[in-house]
Order: sequence, then C-alpha cells, then structure tokens
Amino acid sequence: MVFLKQIPQFLVWMLLLLLLLRGFPGRRRAVSFWSTGGFALGVAGYLLLARLLPVRVPLGIIRSVMGGSFLLLWGVAVASLYRSTVRDFPLLRLDRFTPLCAMVGSGAAGLMAGGICANQLPAPDGSLLRFLPFLLLPLAGALLAVIARSVEGVVIPSYAATPSSLLAAVVALLLLSSSAAITLDLFSPLSMKVMKGTHDFVHQFMESILIPDHLFIRPEIWGYIGFLFGKEVGFWGGMIIWFTPVLLIALAIWLEPLPSVAQFRQGARRRLLLAAAIREKKHRMVIPALALVAFAAAAYRSSFPSVEYWDPKPLAVTATPAGEILIPRKGEVELEDGRMHKYLYKQGDKEVRFFILMNPSGKLTVDLDACAICKPDGYGQTEGMLLCYYCKTLIPLDTVGRPGGCNPVPVPFRELEDGVHLDASSLVNSWNQTVQSTTRSKEGGK
Amino acid sequence: MNRMLRTLWALLSSRALPPLVLGLFLLLYIGIAFFTDETLITLMAIVRRNPLLVALLALLPLNGGCRMVVEISRYLNRRRSIFGYSSPPSGELYHESVELSAPPSFAPLEERLRGEGYNTVKNGQQLAAWRGVTLLPARLLYLAGIFCLLAGILVSLTSRGVNRQEVVEGAPFPAPGGNGGLVRSISFQHGSGWILAKELELEVADPDGAGALHRFGVYPPARFRGAFVYPRYLGVALICRISAPDLPAGYEKSVVLPLYPPGREASTVLSGTPYKLTLTLTVPEDGSDPYTTGKMLFGFKLLKGKELVLTGTLPGGGAFRKDGYVVAIPDYRRMVMTDFVSDNGVLLIWWSAFLFTAALLLWLALHIFLPRREMLFLSRGGTIRAFSRAEGAAMNHAGVFHEALDLLETST
Repeated sequence: MVFLKQIPQFLVWMLLLLLLLRGFPGRRRAVSFWSTGGFALGVAGYLLLARLLPVRVPLGIIRSVMGGSFLLLWGVAVASLYRSTVRDFPLLRLDRFTPLCAMVGSGAAGLMAGGICANQLPAPDGSLLRFLPFLLLPLAGALLAVIARSVEGVVIPSYAATPSSLLAAVVALLLLSSSAAITLDLFSPLSMKVMKGTHDFVHQFMESILIPDHLFIRPEIWGYIGFLFGKEVGFWGGMIIWFTPVLLIALAIWLEPLPSVAQFRQGARRRLLLAAAIREKKHRMVIPALALVAFAAAAYRSSFPSVEYWDPKPLAVTATPAGEILIPRKGEVELEDGRMHKYLYKQGDKEVRFFILMNPSGKLTVDLDACAICKPDGYGQTEGMLLCYYCKTLIPLDTVGRPGGCNPVPVPFRELEDGVHLDASSLVNSWNQTVQSTTRSKEGGK
Repeated sequence: MNRMLRTLWALLSSRALPPLVLGLFLLLYIGIAFFTDETLITLMAIVRRNPLLVALLALLPLNGGCRMVVEISRYLNRRRSIFGYSSPPSGELYHESVELSAPPSFAPLEERLRGEGYNTVKNGQQLAAWRGVTLLPARLLYLAGIFCLLAGILVSLTSRGVNRQEVVEGAPFPAPGGNGGLVRSISFQHGSGWILAKELELEVADPDGAGALHRFGVYPPARFRGAFVYPRYLGVALICRISAPDLPAGYEKSVVLPLYPPGREASTVLSGTPYKLTLTLTVPEDGSDPYTTGKMLFGFKLLKGKELVLTGTLPGGGAFRKDGYVVAIPDYRRMVMTDFVSDNGVLLIWWSAFLFTAALLLWLALHIFLPRREMLFLSRGGTIRAFSRAEGAAMNHAGVFHEALDLLETST
C-alpha cells in the first residue's frame, strides 16, 4: 500500500532519469551511477535527519534546495534569452565542464528525488516494519534506473536537451514530485509572497510618484487598483513567476539566430539547411514543453492538495453579564486533545470566530480564526500545521499563539481550573480591528 | 591604465550588468522575506543606509547611460562604413557577413537593389544599400527612460524628505522654512475627469507678492519652495467648548480631527478632566457633501470615563445644552493633512513614463512599417566581402541579400 502511493513519485523519477540520460548522451554510465547513488543517499539522509532532528529540519532543507534550484533556473533562463538575442553577451562556455555537470547534476537530482520520496513514507517509529520501506526504496530507485537506461535508447535521437531545457525539466519534475506533500510545496508560499510583495510594491509606487489616496479617485478606478491587493493577483503572479523561466528558455530556443547560409550559392541548399535548422529547433522545444506540463501539474496539485483538514464547525458561546466567556476544559470538547476547536461569539450583529488549541509544547493558546494580513477566511488543521485558507500559508503548530505574519491573531485569556476565561469586549475589539484593517487593505485601501 | 579603463568601460556598458545587479537585489529581497513580512520596506531601508548597495543600484542608471553611448557609437561606425568613411567594418556591426570571389563590378547589383526598393550609394570599391529607418531613436528613448526611472528611484530612495503638516483654512500655510502665506480657501468639488472623483484646491496668498495667489491641486501635485504639496486626507480643525455640572467653568480646546468622510469617528481627550469627546460629521438629508458646502453638522458623544453622559448633534458654530451639560463648536474650518515632499526623483520617474510611451510607439511604428535593412559590399583584390543587417522583416531581407550574392557570383 505504501509503495502504491509512491507510484507517481516513481514515474517522476523514471522521467527524470530519462531526461538526464538524454541530456548527457556520452555519459550514460556516470549519470546512472551518480543519480542512483544520490537517490539512495537522499533516502538515507532524510531518514537520519528525521530520526535525529525535528522533522521540519529535513523538510526545510529540501524546500530550501528546491527554492534555490528554482532561482538557479530563473538565472539560467534569463542568461539563455540574453545569449540568444544579444550578440555580444558574454557568457561562460560550459562545454568543458560537461563531465562535472553530469556527475553533480545527476547526483543532486537523485539526492533530492530520494529525499522527497522518503518524505512520503510513514515516519519510522523504531520497529523493523516501519524501516523496511526505507530499505526497499533505494532498491526500487535502482531498478527503475536500469529500466530507464534501456528505454532511453528508444526515444528519437533528435529530441536533444539543451543544458537550460534539461535544467528546466529536472527542476519541474522535482517540483512536481514535492508538490505531493503540502509541507514541501513551493507554489502556494510563492503565491502568498507575490500577493504581499505586490501589495507593498503598489503602495510604495503610489507613494513614490505621489498618486492621491482613494478619497480623490473614482471608485471604479480604485476598484481596479484594489484588484492588485487580492489573492487572485497572488495566484496569477505566482503562475507568471512559476512558468516564466521555462517559457523564457523556450523563447531563447525559438529566437536563436538561424545559421548563416550566405556562403552557399544554391538556393535549394540554403533552403534545405534553413529548414533543417528550423526542424531541429522544433525538436529542441519538446523538453521545455514537457517541463511546462510538469510545472502546470505541480501548480494544480498545490492548488488542489489531496489533504484532509480538521476544520470543526464553530460552537456558539455566550458571555456572562460581566462580559466573560468561559470555555470548559472538558465537556462537549476536550481542549487538550491537540486539535483545533473553533467557537463563535455573537454580540449584536457582530460575529467573532476564534479557536483554542493545545500546541505541541503542551500550552493552550486562544486565537482569532483570522490573521492580521489576509481576509478572515479562517484556518484548517493538518498534520503538524495550520493552513490559512486565504493564502494557503502553512503555520507550524508550535508557532501558533505568536503574533505576526499569517499567524492567527492571539487573544489574551486566563487559564483556570475550570477552563479558559476570555474577556468578550477585548475579543470583539480584537476581531474588529483585525477584520477592518485586512478588509480595507484587500479592498484597495492604503 | 588604458587597459583598466577599457575593462571598466566594458563592465559598465555590458548588457550583462542589469540582470546581474537586479538578480543580486532579488536575492537580497528573498533573503529578507525569510525574516519579515515587510520585505520591500525593509529592503528599501537597508539600501538607504548602505553606501555599497546604493553604489550597486547606481550602476543601473549608469549602465543605461553607457549603453546609449555604445549604441550611438555603433550606429555612427556603421554609418561611416556605409558611406566609405572608415576602414572595413568588423563583423559584429552586422548580423551576417560572407566573403566570395567575384569581380568588382556592382552595376547590375545596384540596379537590382534599387528595384527592390533599397537606396544605394557607390563609393569607389564599395556598394552600400539600405531601406527603412533605424530603430536607434526608439532605442535611445527607451534607454533614456531606463536612465530616468532608475536614477529617479535612486534619488528618491536616498534623498526623499517628507514633512506632514495640517493645512487649515484661514491659518498660515505650514510650508517648509515657515512664512508660507495665508491659506485663503480650501475648496473640494466633484471632479469631471476620468480618474479623479474629487477636485481639491488649496488657495494660498503669496507671502511675498501683493495679492498673488498660489493654487495647489491633487494631481499632478504642484511644488512650493522645492517641495511637492501632496494632500493625503481631509479633516476639520475646530474649537470645542464644554461645560458640565462638575466642570462649571467650562473647557475649551482647539483640535484637528480626521472626520472625513462623513460617518468617520474621531475622539479627543479633554486633558485634566475625566471627559472624552467623540465627533462625527453627519450626512445632510439632501445628500450633499458637508466638506464641499461648508455646512457641517456634527454628531457627538461625551464620555465620562467609560460612561456615556451625553449624545446628540449640533451644527458647526452652534451649541447643545442638556442636563447641565453644554457642548459647543464655536468655530470650525476645513483642514487638509498634507505632505510636503522634497524629492527630485519624482520628476525623473514621471519623465521615464513619457519616454517609455514614446519609445514604445516609435518602436512599433518603425518595426512594423519601416524596418531598417542594410547591406554592404566591399571589393578588395578579387574578393568581395558582404555584410547584412536587418532590424525587422529579416526573412525578406535575407532573401534579397542571398539573391544579391548569387547575382554577384554569376556575373563572374
């Protein structure tokens, strides 16, 4: 069953190997050796780190390396485009480093793929049964490497991979693989950062060229400006950043100057040569197209994760005449079961949603079901994390109760023998302040 | 020394420089994003304080300026080579070059090229042909736009000064340095433009001229003594007077409150007393804007500690009496919270917008309708070197060029 869940990862791993073998055609043996070795090392490294350190450490390493690879891809894509369109653009020739690139590239790709696959397995608890999948995983990886090497010969030889398109496809496949786990996903955090970055940029831009405030602007115009502050901009901006490197690489291939045929005096020969060059260009577009599909699949999996959230229906609570809300420690719900418990308090026409949660360090925390940045769409709980429904940010449970960023806004409370005591008026004030400021900002206020 | 200068020039004018510098700033931005949500503001603050980063940012406009010099120089070199004023051109000035054995006779070729719509000039042992208009002016406008934008950002980032002041009708204009004259009036009307819904005008008597007036609107903001007058939000400056059973002597206070738009609440604590006064501007029944008409009706709440002791409405200039309490607003005036912004970068950024628009329109027109295409044929000792370059319609031009070469060879 565990290995059935790994089938998509195995397919990605095989595609990755096929690409690497096609990318370094003269170094098939080295590619097979280093990628398989890297895969085994990735599994072992993940297992070791997850046993010795909190699991967020290996996850953080994988996410950082994936983020770094994506940045590298951006750099390579921009350089490729410059190289194709600017005739005097200085660029290091990498041809003589091909053996090193094959070794390092294959090893690194294998290492990452191994780490990502290992993260999909159930955490080991010391029993041999739980360790077994970690032992079998490298063997499965090696078996797939053998199959990939035999299949690779069947692929049409002219479907060559340029270094930049190879990098694009490898990074895309690794991102697709990592998007299966919400904790390794990069697209949603990217969208959130774009949303916040756009908000900051638009605000600073308007300030810098002295554009007047919404007070003086037509509401419909301000509505268009307000669109820039919404999560749709985060999503579409994230999509642009996500897909642009591979599109730039495809564009760079397309814009490469055709070879000079002026030295040939037969028109037919010139046309033949140009047609061959155009055909070869089209074949070289196949790998970027594959990378584009992988990027799209990763973004789709990130936007519609197959993860179930714990999101209980809020329980209605009331305040005493003195304005105090009491949530009993035990009763209809167990406050200390480690799950998020949501409540709804109504005061006149105002409704306040909040939740109580015992964090992993054993402390109760009371927070609004809203953060200081996003629209108050609320949170869901998944393994070890809360997820902001608006911007899809993951918040580690041990940081819940701390203010800032997309963390839920903490509410002051007293923890007594009978349960948790809250001041109703400060709860309402806190909700009003938070919701007013985030709604204004999302709707275009400054 | 010369070698060092050449290297420096190559570095400053390199097209690799902008992506490298921008990439470094992007990395810095990403690094900061790990630690704070106020990433852009933090990055701006860090750059402002760090001379090294300022110098790095300054490389971008400098590169724009250097690129202009390089591109003008290349254009002039090409032009000189076309008219035979210089030694044979280097291949890098053209997109394609080829050498073939052919006699030094260009007469049939010149006729053929003229037939294709090219202008030609024969000069001794060379023939040049061209048609269309060079994209250089559009490119220069674009580079000038880049220069203005980046220089503007740099100047703005490093030298912007903002001084926020309350501009009150009938009070001295709080210009930087003082003695800004008297604010004669503040008018606020419905706008008729596509973008601005409201028009605001501050009319200020010139402190030096007899009867002369300065007028400041919303956009584009006018300048006064080098600072942009940038209205931010509206409010009311008023005098409130209160007396209560436990405050029989009364209390008077001048206060400026951000009460606009109507319905917005603002409070003032009456220091030394237990009272707090909360005011709002009420919307008149006829739906008019009280800030425009100047007829203001204030809603108020008087609190003693947390207890609400009096609530009601009173017109500006009037008073409200009940249960021994008196709340009065004997005087009120329009107020505009205004930033006096000293920033020369703004002008450069505005200029960049004009330059980019002009560059785009010119580029589109030239690229579509009159793309520049050039050929040069040089005859030296029984061989001909041919050069070709196209800024648009490249496939057609290449076809003509190849046929020209065929014609030269068949004429042997």
